Amino acid sequence: MDRDLLRQTLSHHGQSLFTHLKCEQSENPDFKAIEPDLSKASYQRKYGGEDNALVEQFIARKADILFAPSWKSSALLEDVLEEEGEEPYAIMPPLEQFMEVSFEERRNLLYRDIERGDIVIGRINSIRDFGFFVTLICMGGGLERDIEDLELTALCPLRDVPSNGNHDDPLSYYQLNDLIRAGVKDIDRYHEKITISLQPSSLGPNLMNLKLGVFSRDDMPLQYSRSVRVANDNTETYERVLEGSLGYSNPSNVEYLLGKIGVSDTQPPSLMRGLQSKHFLEEDFATTIRKKQSASWALKCVRVGVDHFKSGRHVEAMNEYNKALEIDTNNVEALVARGALYANKGSLLKAITDFELALESCPTHRNAKKYLCQTLVERGGQLEEEEKLVTAEGLYRKALALDDSFQDAKEALKKIELLIQKSLKLREEAAAKEAEKAKNVETSAEKLRKILKEEKRMKRKQRRSSSSSSSSSSSSDRSSSGRRKSKKKKRKHRRSSRGKKHQQVSSRDNRSVADDEEEWYPAPPNTSASFLDQKSSVVRPFEGPESTEEGSQPPSKGRSHSYRSLSSVSDAPDNSRFEDDPFDASPQRAEGSKGKGVRGDKTSDGDVKEREGSRGQRKSQGQEDQSGPQDVPSSLEKVKHRRMSSSSAGSEHSRKSDQYTNDLPSQSHISTYRRSDSGKYGSTERGDKKEQERGTRRSDGGDYRSSTDATRNGKGSSAGGSQKKELPTNLLDLFSQIAQFEKEKCVKPKK
Amino acid sequence: MARFITPGSMEAVSRLGGAPGGKRGAPALDTDTDSTREIKTHFRVCRFIMETGVKLGMRSVPVATACVLYHRFFQCVSVTVYEPYLVAMSCIYLAGKVEEQHLRTRDIINVCHRYFHSSSEPLNCDGEFWDLRDSVVQCELLVLRQLNFHVSFQHPHKYLLHYLLSVKSLVNRHAWSRTPVAETTWALLRDCYHGTMCVRHAPQHIAIATLYLALLSYGVEVPVGEREWWQVLCEDITKEHIDAIISDLLHLYDMEAKCT
Repeated sequence: MDRDLLRQTLSHHGQSLFTHLKCEQSENPDFKAIEPDLSKASYQRKYGGEDNALVEQFIARKADILFAPSWKSSALLEDVLEEEGEEPYAIMPPLEQFMEVSFEERRNLLYRDIERGDIVIGRINSIRDFGFFVTLICMGGGLERDIEDLELTALCPLRDVPSNGNHDDPLSYYQLNDLIRAGVKDIDRYHEKITISLQPSSLGPNLMNLKLGVFSRDDMPLQYSRSVRVANDNTETYERVLEGSLGYSNPSNVEYLLGKIGVSDTQPPSLMRGLQSKHFLEEDFATTIRKKQSASWALKCVRVGVDHFKSGRHVEAMNEYNKALEIDTNNVEALVARGALYANKGSLLKAITDFELALESCPTHRNAKKYLCQTLVERGGQLEEEEKLVTAEGLYRKALALDDSFQDAKEALKKIELLIQKSLKLREEAAAKEAEKAKNVETSAEKLRKILKEEKRMKRKQRRSSSSSSSSSSSSDRSSSGRRKSKKKKRKHRRSSRGKKHQQVSSRDNRSVADDEEEWYPAPPNTSASFLDQKSSVVRPFEGPESTEEGSQPPSKGRSHSYRSLSSVSDAPDNSRFEDDPFDASPQRAEGSKGKGVRGDKTSDGDVKEREGSRGQRKSQGQEDQSGPQDVPSSLEKVKHRRMSSSSAGSEHSRKSDQYTNDLPSQSHISTYRRSDSGKYGSTERGDKKEQERGTRRSDGGDYRSSTDATRNGKGSSAGGSQKKELPTNLLDLFSQIAQFEKEKCVKPKK
Repeated sequence: MARFITPGSMEAVSRLGGAPGGKRGAPALDTDTDSTREIKTHFRVCRFIMETGVKLGMRSVPVATACVLYHRFFQCVSVTVYEPYLVAMSCIYLAGKVEEQHLRTRDIINVCHRYFHSSSEPLNCDGEFWDLRDSVVQCELLVLRQLNFHVSFQHPHKYLLHYLLSVKSLVNRHAWSRTPVAETTWALLRDCYHGTMCVRHAPQHIAIATLYLALLSYGVEVPVGEREWWQVLCEDITKEHIDAIISDLLHLYDMEAKCT
């Protein structure tokens, strides 16, 4: 209990209050503690008023609240002056004026209450060399009193007059009868002397921004002008002034004033026992109940949504989830359910967003963590396909950070680390190779031979099938020769142009082809009409359950682009991860592209492993085949193509798998590609051709040359397939020579 | 009232537990006259309004409006015909609209439901909830009609705050900061809405009376001039008037012991 306050009250009311207090507060330990102090003094009622027993009883009863230290809600509030011209509440003239407090009383009170930092406004009445004297007119802030008729004089010493830049005497700036606004610097209450200052430092922090110095009549504070009006007009009462002022009509003046005074309206004070703030529990408040209620309503919607999902009604499920999230945004269950639905449909990014949001609100949600891991790994897989190895690696790491027992993530991370290392290594090798290759000088005969070979192959292919041949090697031949041609001076324009075309075409082809060498089925030439037919015919079966991740994959090469769009790569290996979850009602659906049921999860996993293992080797081989900087991107593309083909594997041509094994270890891996290619593009002839190539290569024992040839052949044929070239007549006589030459060189039969 | 309130909603409200003197508060004594019983009921319902106001985060002025609406409504009608707690809920809802602090019926129903069934689960979005909501909205219309759509009032709060500032300037600032006059007078003002005194006296008078009582409680010295400060602030008030209001207010504090 506030002892001083109690003393003040007691001295005001007298002994009878003390009696009441003792009676009413007898159980109050706080009162008991200070009772001895209080009883030392004897209290006389200050004013000879009536014995207000009722009030005293009230005070006594409520003393524990009234005099509680916590009752005072705020410390001394800094007085903030309102903006000039604004009147958020009615600014009234000093009450003293209305009350007609006597001159003496006011004077005494002023000297008692004025403090350093208050602002006064006055008129200069004399200027001396040590400063100037000001007759105070009104208070400008900090204290509101009626002082005009008191005719107080304050001194502003010279050192408190700021200089105005030039070297004149600062006092010369001021003249008699100037209106000045100044801050009170010092009070001598005993001698009743006031010292003022024009330096801004004399003001307190809350009034700092006021400009001191010469002042104009128009800027006089509102309360003063009103006070003048009241003085002149007898009929002006407080009430009239109040109701006539603008601030009185401000609807939010209550709020504003409460803030100014420092009383809280949200935790309002009360003297009723039952309304004390300690009786209010947080969970009874409206906002708390609403949150709980929204969560429970949202949960109902989520349950309905999950039912829909399990029965396969995905649209209704999504609607229910969205409804739940409208009722309760960031509802954890709804976010997790929606995320799972997105992931199943293939919108991995949206799924990841939802899971992360859910984990933000509830970091220990088991399902959210699990699904997020799975989705991250799957997305990482997608990114790998798109060559964004570093990003993919980041995702795998993130998944592992979430749940370090997640096997798939670990494996994927290892693989991608290998991959990155290898790609770096390959890049180095490519640089080395380029240096090496640049030294090679090919004879024109060699070049011609290659061109002819490609063209022959192309012709043969066109005879056999409209579709592109497995002429990756030949196309690569052509392309490489074309490239070399373009580097050197071109004698035959057509050839050079052809070469250029080859270059453009096969630059793309090269990459696609080089990756695959003898295992990978080459892409069809991208400019033939047959390709378009193929594409359109193949796209359809995969459109339905296909993911929408196509857009995210870079349309780097025309030919390879078609592959990507055809395969739902993203879903390829990782749908198995959703199988064990309640949300994974139809995991097979997302695996639409391989939904033919041939490739089980084992195969896909096996593929992933084998892919990784063989990739490196293949890359190195592809590297050696190629010349120039295309090798690295081509090897990476190789990887992509492998993935795509694997995902688009069909069951029809499994028998071909056996034929396509080669010395490289990843045989089943290759077989799946084989299967996919044949199945996809329906070019059995090509398959046969490739078959033969494989066979020969196998016989070679997987030596460098064979692979080189295969690549070249593939390239040449693909490039050749893409374009119909006319042989310049003067080359015809060289054909036989070249053909002969070639026969000697390579063991492969011509197609 | 039966015309406006469906059987379902009436049932819902009685399920809410709002029978007069039913769930909350001390049972009515046999010695009580009807009028005493009524006064006690009104006290309890106003206590309900004020508690709900705090839980809904209502400002002081809308809470005051709600109480005034309630008192004025029951000045004209009998408490036996109309369910007072339902009327109170509607008054809260209406006061929110009048004083521009709009409240959602969902929040009002949630808080009130919990008032009657403490520590219960929030209501489901089902028939009972919609019944309650319907009844609140219907009753709101009833209150409006009963009051002839005269629902905006002058409250003492605005006056009190201005008076407070003016009186503050008379007193030494340090003495003022030591003395919690503002809190006390605000508390007294809020508490006076438990009874009908808030509608029987003019807002300026209530403001002056509460300020007077607060200053008296702490023994604050106010300078004396030709006229008393309270005389200056409100021309038509007398000391007797102030005393009468103060005694009404103190009476309310006594009632608290009897009613709760």
